[in-house]
Amino acid sequence: MRASILDTLFATMAQDERIFFLTADMGIYLVERFEQAYPKRFLNVGIAEQNMIGVAAGLVNAGFRPFAYTISNFLIHRALEQIRNDILLHQYPVVLLGTSAGWDNAPLGPTHHILDDWGTLAALGSGIDIYCPSSKNYAAALVPRLIAGGRPAYVRIAKSSALPESPEGDFFHLEGDPAAPLLIGYGTTTVTLLEVHEQRPETGVLILQKLSPCDCLDLGPILTQYSRAIVVEDHFAHSGIHAALCRQAMQKGWPVKLESAAPTHYSLTVSPNENGYFGRFGMSVEALRERAAPNVIS
Amino acid sequence: MMVSPTDVRRTTIEMLYRARASHLGPSMSVIDILCAVYGLVDLPRIRASAAGRDRVFLSKGHAAAGLYATLWHFDLLDIDPRQHYCRDGSVLAGHASHAVQGVEHSTGALGHGLPVAAGCAYGLRSKGFNDARVYVVVGDGELQEGSNWEGLMFARHHNLSNLTVIVDANGISSIRPTREVIDLEPMGRVFAGLGFAVEEVKGDYAAIDTALRKLHALSQPSVLIARTTKGQGIPFAENQPIWHYRSLDDTLFAEALAALDRATKDAVPEEIIP
Repeated sequence: MRASILDTLFATMAQDERIFFLTADMGIYLVERFEQAYPKRFLNVGIAEQNMIGVAAGLVNAGFRPFAYTISNFLIHRALEQIRNDILLHQYPVVLLGTSAGWDNAPLGPTHHILDDWGTLAALGSGIDIYCPSSKNYAAALVPRLIAGGRPAYVRIAKSSALPESPEGDFFHLEGDPAAPLLIGYGTTTVTLLEVHEQRPETGVLILQKLSPCDCLDLGPILTQYSRAIVVEDHFAHSGIHAALCRQAMQKGWPVKLESAAPTHYSLTVSPNENGYFGRFGMSVEALRERAAPNVIS
Repeated sequence: MMVSPTDVRRTTIEMLYRARASHLGPSMSVIDILCAVYGLVDLPRIRASAAGRDRVFLSKGHAAAGLYATLWHFDLLDIDPRQHYCRDGSVLAGHASHAVQGVEHSTGALGHGLPVAAGCAYGLRSKGFNDARVYVVVGDGELQEGSNWEGLMFARHHNLSNLTVIVDANGISSIRPTREVIDLEPMGRVFAGLGFAVEEVKGDYAAIDTALRKLHALSQPSVLIARTTKGQGIPFAENQPIWHYRSLDDTLFAEALAALDRATKDAVPEEIIP
């Protein structure tokens, strides 16, 4: 996913001289080509995320369209006030590219996990579009879309989330039996949900590639097909998709019962990969397969 | 174009009085700096919003009243700020807002302006606008925010010679003298040690103007430390931390105007006084 975005961005920079690539000293063997090809439109600001966002705002003032890249846990929390004041308040077209979403940095411990990134940004209520591509086509198409949109945006880049058919829409629905629950996820949970679907084909799956604002996604026709849905996300449910869909369901009168499988806290005990954390919070293939059985109600 | 700092102070005092607003102290201390800076920049290009215009960022956004008044006196703001400052429905907020004509960037949370200015200076250089200068005005108390130092390191590393950081060194942080809170003195040596060209002057218009012209000639990023006075020009407010917060009543408003009238009279050469 990361390669799709960066490859497209690199190619686009040849045609669009407004694009400026920033990194906070992250992306070894990924960002060097940007510096070599476009030395006047590349900056490694150093390990200084607040400065990266401020510099990005200054670059917009000077006429550029910055893409700011680093790992999400540093990008969002460290620089949150800069994002709110210097980017969102001004509605500057800065694109935040955040890698290492959720537990993608699993063994590094909770300082390197991020379970509240996009929900925190969405809660700012100041106009930012948030994406989490799960298909390579969508990721590649997203870059020109972001440039054309000219709005602040955050792209949550998950480590492993490739959809097999590579759809280009903001969401992707694998139909299931309405008697079984619909599994809803995004990013890294995509792989898990697809595996559950493979083992239990009656289980429908809805993968979101745009996370916020999700009110404009026309999800009603899908969600109202099901009586139960389980939102599986490597993000806190109270500020994640679960909460966003609950709000919509209440406002629009959807009869679907929305359940959640998501972390409740940052865990101090480590795991070698995200699957360890998925197991702890009821997000494993096994747990979801069991929970998705038609006669099991959470 | 030259504008009298005393005239800008008078406008600012009227704004603050009419709105019953705070931040008199920091607004007064920054006015000589702003008058000197706007006296140097290419005003027609700023009015035209030209891509290669000079930029002025007020990072200590709580001095917005002083900024708006300065912009108005320099014909960069069309509406009379005395009629609009902090009024219901007005964009002239108590902290600098980019919704106001002539304001480059919204500030108020401290430590934001310097990185933005540094990014802008880098961007202007990348675009080949080599004549455009970028000024950012920070407070001495504001320098306690760590993001300033990220911006300073960045500016030095990239040798942003088109950037001048101006420290409104009024000596008072928010509620205490700056030296009692976090002592950065000798400030000039700190910035020089970071690799900046440094000038340190008394905080009046003429000294600031001279120092800025001197720094322009150099080929390295620069810092001007202007030793101003919090509440400058308003005797009862000078060096009083409470005037970061207090607003003017009728009596003190009259007293402030009288002080400014005396300053105007004192500035007029004796031979033309009737």
